[in-house]
Amino acid sequence: MTQAPTFAVVGHPNKGKSSVVATLSQNDAIAIALEPGTTRKRQAYPLTVDGRTLYTLVDTPGFQRPRRVLQWLEAHSVSASDHVDTVSAFVTQHRDDGRFTDECELLAPLLDGAGIIYVVDGSVPYSAEHEAEMTILRWTGRPSLALINSIGADDYSDTWQTALGQFFQVVRRFDAVRAPFEQHLSLLRAFGQLEPDWEAPLEQATQYLSGQRQQRRRQAASLVARALDDMMSFQEKRTLTAGQAAETSDGSLADQLRQRWYRHQRQREQTLRVEIEHLYQHQRIRRQEAELEWHSEHDLFSEDSRRAWAVSKRYLATAGFGAGAVSGAGIDALTLGSSLGTGALVGGLIGAAGSYLYGDRLALPALNIGVLRDGLKTATFGPVQDSQFGYVVLGRAIDHWWHISHRNHAGRDLLELEPADHHWLESLDKGSRKDIQQAFDKCRKRRPLDLRQREKFTDAIEQCMAVYDDWRLNRT
Amino acid sequence: MTDSPLRLLLAFDAQARRDTSQPPAFLHRRDRKFALVCEQQGVTPEANRWLAHLNRLSGPGTKPSAANQPLRFWRRVSTGFAAVGMVAGVFAMVGLLFYDGGQRINITVLLAFVLLQLLLALLTAVQSLAGWQPWRWLLRRFQGTPTQGVINRLQPVLMARSAHLGGLCFAISGLVTLLVMVVVQDLAFGWSTTLETAAANYHRLVQIIAAPWAWLWSAAAPDLTLIEATRFFRAGTGNTSPDPARWGQWWPFVTMLWLTWVLLPRLLLWVLTSMLLRHRARRLLSHHPAMRALLYRMETPALDTGNAHNDAADLPDTGLRNNLLPMPDSDILLCWAGAGEPELPDTLSSGKQLVLRAGGRASLADDEQVLSQIGTHCHGADSKAVILLTRCWEPPTGELQDFLESARDVWPDGTRVALVPLAADSTREPDAHQVQPWLRFAERLGNDFVRVSLPPLQPQPNPYTTSGEPS
Repeated sequence: MTQAPTFAVVGHPNKGKSSVVATLSQNDAIAIALEPGTTRKRQAYPLTVDGRTLYTLVDTPGFQRPRRVLQWLEAHSVSASDHVDTVSAFVTQHRDDGRFTDECELLAPLLDGAGIIYVVDGSVPYSAEHEAEMTILRWTGRPSLALINSIGADDYSDTWQTALGQFFQVVRRFDAVRAPFEQHLSLLRAFGQLEPDWEAPLEQATQYLSGQRQQRRRQAASLVARALDDMMSFQEKRTLTAGQAAETSDGSLADQLRQRWYRHQRQREQTLRVEIEHLYQHQRIRRQEAELEWHSEHDLFSEDSRRAWAVSKRYLATAGFGAGAVSGAGIDALTLGSSLGTGALVGGLIGAAGSYLYGDRLALPALNIGVLRDGLKTATFGPVQDSQFGYVVLGRAIDHWWHISHRNHAGRDLLELEPADHHWLESLDKGSRKDIQQAFDKCRKRRPLDLRQREKFTDAIEQCMAVYDDWRLNRT
Repeated sequence: MTDSPLRLLLAFDAQARRDTSQPPAFLHRRDRKFALVCEQQGVTPEANRWLAHLNRLSGPGTKPSAANQPLRFWRRVSTGFAAVGMVAGVFAMVGLLFYDGGQRINITVLLAFVLLQLLLALLTAVQSLAGWQPWRWLLRRFQGTPTQGVINRLQPVLMARSAHLGGLCFAISGLVTLLVMVVVQDLAFGWSTTLETAAANYHRLVQIIAAPWAWLWSAAAPDLTLIEATRFFRAGTGNTSPDPARWGQWWPFVTMLWLTWVLLPRLLLWVLTSMLLRHRARRLLSHHPAMRALLYRMETPALDTGNAHNDAADLPDTGLRNNLLPMPDSDILLCWAGAGEPELPDTLSSGKQLVLRAGGRASLADDEQVLSQIGTHCHGADSKAVILLTRCWEPPTGELQDFLESARDVWPDGTRVALVPLAADSTREPDAHQVQPWLRFAERLGNDFVRVSLPPLQPQPNPYTTSGEPS
């Protein structure tokens, strides 16, 4: 079996080498900073499938003294045929020399057979000063590819492209922070083009990675479904003894319950967010809404959120009709169809009317303070009676999922989740609408969803993800 | 009969519910690894093997499976049905065969009772097939906590199996009681009905009922003479029969009647329900959503993107600095690594006696020459300051550090270097984040030989006035 290809990501300091590696290896824990010397040692990031390595990316420090290295190489070389040996001799001789630590770390994987991924910053002007580095890389005789990674806003990629084309077999543009997933795959395929033997493992790797992405989407939908179930059916309950009941007024008890209920819902939403982030291997995201506050415009219960994510009454009515018709169809089945679908129609109408009229009710029906019985008084708040609450949670969850699934691991900026300005859910198909509404209705009534219903609910949420993705794509 | 498919289904369901709180990536790695081990061993990764594997890894002392709880409950229900059936069978038979010597035991009543039993058995079977659970409220009451998961869908069949078991016990204890009573008592059977039925008609009915066993045991299929002889009437005296022994000749028929039409149907339905239960359990297991997910995890390779390494906290010093100093007066301008190309800004180049280039494309020998040139110039100069222009976007590298260290050795004492980072557009000040690395670099050099200054900005031409026009 041929050895899995290795690619050393090399270049001048601070050109985004670590960002490229972070994005391609899906690791948001690689140190990235605008400071030369952030990467001090080479670090390998293998992509393994069932323990078998398909390729390895090696992050390396940047060149510090390329002219001195080149001078040494030229002084010790007689002809082009000894270039590789000379580079090898340089590394052997300077391994313990503190001045050339970075160069040795950078050249060692190339001497071990790695391909070269040379990274430059396309947002700054081309400078011929990089030529010493490129010449040294050419001396190693390894297959090479240049990446133009734009760190800033300006664009000088064209001049870079022309210049790099003289030194490298393939030149590609790749924005480590903003490139969509398809570009990651396309870049990996480009790595495979460097040598015939590398094509198959890289092609295989891209297939596995796209499979993994599909799978993650399904898993994310399942996580959202579970969170929605928990949040819609959650009930805050408190039992007071006669003494406690005498001390606490109904008003303050209701306030306490409401506050605790709200707190629990916010925490559950946060847990979902962390789960989704970890699913996509984002372990260290800082969110704008890390601490949800009551007054915050991004809060789960804020009017802004409701305006942004709730669905229209017409949507509620149609979804309610579908969900009600399913229950009504049970009557038709009992009469062996002799009711000619009247059950489904009546059920649908009741569902539609219920959703239309009661879709907005949140606070009052959720609170229930019992009377003192056997020396005990029980008060409950929830489950939520408002279908819109479910749609707000769903909308926010899908929005967050979208940001996370489209976020590259080189991105270290704050994740800001702004409410959307469009009722994107309106383009969801009727079947999914019905399944969602039906699941919401069951949760509100605290009836557990059986496995088949949960599957359908998850399918519908996955459909929502597709619709949202599509809407985002066509928004601009 | 073993309930292994059911036990397997319940254990699988319980494990699936436990797995919902595990991270998907972990589940995938775990199950894929199991599938690969199975592949190596040449065995199929079936659900029971998978569960055994998980339990084995958890080691001895693992908590009893959550599957056992519903099974225990249903075993209790079955035991209850069996016990009640057993006792009821004895009482029912004793009641049916109640005989005080003065009357006959009416075969017609026995036939009606057997028919009732048959109907009850069939009703139970139909109910379980249709999935009706009119007894659900009662079950909920006994169970305490509502059951979760897949067991809910099996409840009708489980209940039917328990009911059939109860019926079977009822039939067995009834049969045993019958035989005991036949032995210890002198039972007198006869037949009677208010309807005007001829003995021949009754014989036809009895023949139909006895058809299944008539060929096997002819004594258990009463003939017409026995039927004619054992008919009694409500106002009869009881001694109409010429031979008292004939009253007892009905017992083989009664025994076979009970055996064939009460016991056998129950036994058959119990076996069928048990088979149905196993079939449904197998089907539910193969259609279980968690099974689909498990198979998917087993079939899909586990992907590791090599992201285990974490050095995010291991950043070099990136603290902010504000030790910028004003640019000194100097007549020496040194452009490092292409800074100031293609054109030097006037504000920097004007009045400079010495404008030199080093670093970048220049060779190291050129650098040394520049060093000595500046050294010589500084010896005779009043102001010993050198302005070193750099490109603000290129980070300071080891080459510049080497150059500055050599300069400190070569240039006369008291010489100072002002690092001036230039922006790509020389008419603008460099961005703060691009100046910071230079400040930190100067600080790292650890002496006051090097400092950082910002370039003087070129005055911007007024776009509203042109030269020559009065302002």
